[in-house]
Amino acid sequence: MASADKPINTDVPEKDVFALHFLQSLSNLRRQNAFNSPDDTTNNRVKKIKKAAYVSMARAAGGTNRLWSRALLRRAAKENNKVVIFSRRKKRVTWLRRSNRRDPVDAERLRNLLPGGGAMETSKLMEETAHYIKCLSMQVKVMQCLVDGLSAK
Amino acid sequence: MMMMNGEATEAELFLNCADMSVLERQRAHLNHHHYPGFFSNSSTINGGDIDGFLASAGLDLPAVYGYTTVHGDARISVTPGNITTESGNFKKRKFGCVETETKVCNEKKKMMMMMMNREAAVEEEEEEEKSKVTEQSNKSIMMMKMKNKAKKEQNSCSNDSSKVTKDSQRTDYIHVRARRGQATDSHSIAERARREKISERMKFLQDLVPGCDKITGKAGMLDEIINYVQSLQRQVEFLSMKLATVSPRLDFNIDDIFAKEVVSAPMTNLPNTVMPPHMMVNSGYPHEMVDSGYVHFNPMQQVVASSDPLSCFNNLYSSLGV
Repeated sequence: MASADKPINTDVPEKDVFALHFLQSLSNLRRQNAFNSPDDTTNNRVKKIKKAAYVSMARAAGGTNRLWSRALLRRAAKENNKVVIFSRRKKRVTWLRRSNRRDPVDAERLRNLLPGGGAMETSKLMEETAHYIKCLSMQVKVMQCLVDGLSAK
Repeated sequence: MMMMNGEATEAELFLNCADMSVLERQRAHLNHHHYPGFFSNSSTINGGDIDGFLASAGLDLPAVYGYTTVHGDARISVTPGNITTESGNFKKRKFGCVETETKVCNEKKKMMMMMMNREAAVEEEEEEEKSKVTEQSNKSIMMMKMKNKAKKEQNSCSNDSSKVTKDSQRTDYIHVRARRGQATDSHSIAERARREKISERMKFLQDLVPGCDKITGKAGMLDEIINYVQSLQRQVEFLSMKLATVSPRLDFNIDDIFAKEVVSAPMTNLPNTVMPPHMMVNSGYPHEMVDSGYVHFNPMQQVVASSDPLSCFNNLYSSLGV
């Protein structure tokens, strides 16, 4: 009886795209002098690498079409004191936001986990989570391959 | 007065006639104010249907007018002026908005509920006489009928004539409707649609998260999903730690490797490839690399011959290339 929804689209690009973005962000990291010098503590490097991983994942998979990737990129840009400009989305913006108030306690933990989850309706939250899970697993695979490749030597 | 076609002139003759019934005058009004295009879309409107619904709902004539020409606005009060604009908008809506069609249908559904609410309020006195025993059954019957109607409405949203026929059907069993079901129905139907959406997404997620087949129920599924997302995030963190310790090995020039690997390893073109060419240009790759390496699909499987710094990436790309 429900309105005929189009099937949920959670397509994720191939591993190559993730690898490309990640390696690129790593090379950008390389170029920072602070990164290579030995007085950079391991913790900082870890944090930078982690942030690079997330940002590259967001760019590779979602671009600006996904709510979570937009939130992630915005958050990262804020940390660098930069401003991210997003083009206007094609789909209608969340005019359903008023129905969000109905049960926001429903999936609160999930909202806290997912970047940008606080502003979504529950059904949209589920969709974004599915895409996020796919992208995360892809990113994990890429990083695992990289680590294996580097440490196997 | 607008003189549009032969029918209109006849209507005018009607109007000038002294002993015209209210019904005929209204019909003349209706004919008078609709555009000819409206008729050509749905020829049955001009025929018996108008008589049918005008006759059966003589009491609620203004309300039903607004009903037939509703297309998604919240205008309930109707004047003949309204009808012209709305019928004009009918044609507009046909041409296009496929994306907003469901939205319009949903709004129309709500509109219909609201309309029925109002009509129910009007006919309340008549129904108090009916026995309370039949109320329940009527409610359920009416809800089912409303559901079916909503479904039919969705399927034929842009079909004007079917809408008018549905109007006449609807006015038939407005009389048997109970009052109590009304206020909650529009909400409950919307709620049910929303819940179905959520459960559909939950099922999708269930396939995605490994080891979730046995778990039923929303709460358990949510916990599983949250655990999975957390474990993935922890994995990313762990791997980035490992990379931080290993990364001193990446002390050769990544850019060269990158460019060579891009040319040699097969890369697929993807929908999100708007960014990477820009990024590659910005980070200083030679331009021919950008053009040839990324855009063209290089069938060469063979990776560049391994000098030491490159060999670690051989494994990487062979494992990724699968």
